[in-house]
Amino acid sequence: MLDMRYRNIGISIFVLTALAARCLAAQTTDVIGALIDAAAPGSTITVPAGVYQGHLRITKGVVLDGHGAVTIDGGGEGTVVELLAPNTTLRGFTISGSGAGVDREPAGIRAETGPVVIEDNVVDDVLFGIDLRTAPDSIVRNNLVTSKHLEAGRRGDGIRLWWSHNCTIEDNSVHRSRDMVFWYSEGLHIRGNHVTDSRYGLHFMYSHDTTLEHNTLDGNSVGIYLMYSNRITVQDNVLVRNRGASGYGLGLKDCDDIVVRNNAMLANRVGIYIDNSPSSVDSNGLVEHNAVQYNEIGFLATPNTHNNDLTENAFIENEQQVAVHGKGDLAQNHFARDGRGNFWSDYAGFDLQGDGIGDLPYESRNLFESLLATDPNLRIFVNSPAQQAVEFAGRALPQLQPNPSFTDPSPLVQRPVSLAAGTSSRFNAAMGFVSLILLCVAGAGLWLGAERGLRRKEALS
Amino acid sequence: MSATATVSTPTGLAPSVPTAILAIARRELRDALSSKWFAMFTIAFAGLAIALSFLSLAGAGSSGFAGFGRTTAGLLNLIMLLVPLLALTAGAGSIAGERERGTLLYLLAQPISRSEVVIGKFLGLSGAICASLLLGFGLSACVLTWRAGGVGVGAFVALVALTCLLAMSMLAIGLLISVRSRKTSVATGLALCVWLALVFLSDLGLMAGTILFKLRVQEVFALAVLNPLQAFKMGVIMQMNASLDVLGPAGMYASRTFGDHLAWMLPGVVGVWGAMAMVIAMVLFARRVSV
Amino acid sequence: MISARSVERHFGKNKAIDGVSFTLDQGRSLALWGSNGAGKTTLIRCLLGVIRFRGQVEIAGRDVRRSGKAVRACVGYVPQELAFHDDARVGESMRFFARLRGVPGGRASELLERVRLPDQERKRVRDLSGGMKQRLALAIALLSDPPIILLDEPTSNLDASGRRDVVEMLAELKQAGKTLLLASHRPDEVIALADRVLVIERGRVQADTTPKQLWPSEAAVQVVRLHVADGEGERAAQLLRNAGHAVDFNGHGLCVAVPRTQKASPIRVLTLANVEVRDFEFFDDLDAEEVRS
Repeated sequence: MLDMRYRNIGISIFVLTALAARCLAAQTTDVIGALIDAAAPGSTITVPAGVYQGHLRITKGVVLDGHGAVTIDGGGEGTVVELLAPNTTLRGFTISGSGAGVDREPAGIRAETGPVVIEDNVVDDVLFGIDLRTAPDSIVRNNLVTSKHLEAGRRGDGIRLWWSHNCTIEDNSVHRSRDMVFWYSEGLHIRGNHVTDSRYGLHFMYSHDTTLEHNTLDGNSVGIYLMYSNRITVQDNVLVRNRGASGYGLGLKDCDDIVVRNNAMLANRVGIYIDNSPSSVDSNGLVEHNAVQYNEIGFLATPNTHNNDLTENAFIENEQQVAVHGKGDLAQNHFARDGRGNFWSDYAGFDLQGDGIGDLPYESRNLFESLLATDPNLRIFVNSPAQQAVEFAGRALPQLQPNPSFTDPSPLVQRPVSLAAGTSSRFNAAMGFVSLILLCVAGAGLWLGAERGLRRKEALS
Repeated sequence: MSATATVSTPTGLAPSVPTAILAIARRELRDALSSKWFAMFTIAFAGLAIALSFLSLAGAGSSGFAGFGRTTAGLLNLIMLLVPLLALTAGAGSIAGERERGTLLYLLAQPISRSEVVIGKFLGLSGAICASLLLGFGLSACVLTWRAGGVGVGAFVALVALTCLLAMSMLAIGLLISVRSRKTSVATGLALCVWLALVFLSDLGLMAGTILFKLRVQEVFALAVLNPLQAFKMGVIMQMNASLDVLGPAGMYASRTFGDHLAWMLPGVVGVWGAMAMVIAMVLFARRVSV
Repeated sequence: MISARSVERHFGKNKAIDGVSFTLDQGRSLALWGSNGAGKTTLIRCLLGVIRFRGQVEIAGRDVRRSGKAVRACVGYVPQELAFHDDARVGESMRFFARLRGVPGGRASELLERVRLPDQERKRVRDLSGGMKQRLALAIALLSDPPIILLDEPTSNLDASGRRDVVEMLAELKQAGKTLLLASHRPDEVIALADRVLVIERGRVQADTTPKQLWPSEAAVQVVRLHVADGEGERAAQLLRNAGHAVDFNGHGLCVAVPRTQKASPIRVLTLANVEVRDFEFFDDLDAEEVRS
């Protein structure tokens, strides 16, 4: 009964203020503050549609619902909305105009306690987007975050968790931000997020026991970067065109017991980069069923890397399938498990028994690649006949052949099918148009050349 | 025979410039299109382009994503090998061949200047080579139409345009060789040497230099881009990736230093080579003591 | 119409043309007379402006070197041997050169008829006989109806009847007021076509004369072919030239033009100089193909 009454009041206020919003250009967030003050803890407040200037501090555990029609504009100063009480829900708001100074780390939405639910909000023109500080058991879902128009180095993080365990971060979109970053937070569920044009798509610092799945990281400096974080499963993610200075699709630094499964790493500078992971002697890394495709380097690892198993991955048309970051080899990792290795698009062996396993091991003894390790500047010569010439010389003259940096003893001859990225082979009408034009022009040229012959025939007839 | 030959007023007027140039261009186009080597090149290029398109489709099966993988690189490699070879030898053979057969003298005895001969030949051969390339690209685009949803049309068109530019540039260098050569065999030999130098030797030399002298990144880029073939390659990559960062530190340096200007600078390098070759060819031909 | 002053042309150290000067007025005709290698062909190329030379040539009031294109527009050129794209067809070639000369292609068939190559338009140039090629060259030279025609041994590849045709055609052109300059070593041709004869040897003008003065008893010139010992040919040719004979020395012997009444005089000259004449033949009809074969 009580709830019903409040709702009725809420609705009438909603109608009134909606009318008022027509008359007044803007109102302040004090209106919302008053609504919260009037509400009982745990109640749902529907905020009347309109634009509210100022900042909002929520100190009572209520459900605030903007239904997608409420904008809170911080006016370019400080943090716009602060969630200071547990069991607060912020839903359906547009939040913009935080401060820009880095020192106070102004954010669009900041939660200082948990659990809270932040969902269906649009956060833009902010330094930091959604910032959870010690807000465990929270849910951040289906928010759209865009940073201020600043150069990459001066932006804040799109979504940041700090000491916030057991949170669920799902279906958020973050654009033109710094990182979606997780500090000291364990037991997270990171699902279905989409990060573009940012620095690190998903960045883990000292955050353990987490699953990252079905995320799409497109066009960031680095797709997923895990550092000093253990027992993490990375699966079913799509890591595309992450091409910053380091440009890793997935980077692992000093992480133990990582499982990387069923991801697609496409057109990154480096598909998978492993730096000293696992770092403990007795732990293992597993990289399986991934499609690593069109990257400059498919798999890059520091020479001290060990105890990683790579199996049933497809390494397809990476300019360099596997490379060592520096001098050394990858002998302490396994490129096959239980007699099943990986699929290599440039494998030149054969399979006589027909058991799906190539009869010759896959080894990289590419002279050009070993020269690249000597001087990375040489990469400017890739995709040229000179590169081919060097590689040919390496094959033809055994004394020039470098030692293999790794060996896949049982390469797959068929490409594994269970990969994250589905196949799409659409009809390309525009290309058909281009084809038609090209053929017409070519035909016109040929006709021009043969025209005299035609004219002669006409003259004859 | 009727004695109708009347004394006309001295027709001191030379025919207008474009007519003569176009006449030569047209004959050159016709001759090229009816020659065997040209038909062979057209078939070879078209066949390889189609085959590579099929291969790249097979590779791009996952997500239909058009990456810059080894197969795309294969097409680029094919172009960088074949197109200069064809254009250089075609250019080198054209004027030297006429000189050897004695037809050049007869041509020059007509009311036409030497520059017009060079320009006409250039236009005609350009037309023939570009027609042949467009045929190959057109068929390859046909294959891509079939099921390459993700392939960028703009990048493909840019590839076609840049390849034609490269062919014309190499043709100009071939003509430059041709105006100085007395025999077709010598001209063709020289053209092959230039081809070898541009395609392999200069790059290999620069690679060795990079390693031996520890060249700095801007030096590597500057020296590499001087080679019109490398400039062409970078131009294509620029169109496909909007940046040269796939080319390692030197490419990143270039992208960062020149940014979007690279999009016209790189084709510009290719064009300048061709334009310079044409000018030098015309000057040398005009200054030649004999035919 | 044509004026050449101190034309010089070197091939390395050899002077192919060594200070040749002459003038030729409009409607007149001039023959360059001399043996093979005398420099006739080179001189014609200089006149056309297709090779570089020292000195000055003006044709139709224009300097060849400065405005070669304009000069060549009013000059028709018939080479010794027609050399152009063998694969091309006759009509096609005609149209090509018509374009180059900026005249409508319609003139082509009319001209082919005039040089007696009708119905040959579809034929490939390489399938034409030497005579037909030469007539084609003449047709091309006449395409733009130029006032001046330069001919470099125009009948050298023709048989007797073909030669008569060409000479007849040229005579008509001359009558029609064209300025002709032809290189030749055939007395009958020179007599029939030239008002003046420039005798050229070793790149120098030896005499600027008339056919009548060169061969006084008109139409009484015959060619005698002499065979001398191997290695003596060059000396024999020089001796005969010094004695005032016109000589063509080629691989088949020495061809000397002599007045009909003094057929033995070359033999006497050589015998006096101790050059043995092994054999001799006369050619009543001055047929180049026979003389050469």
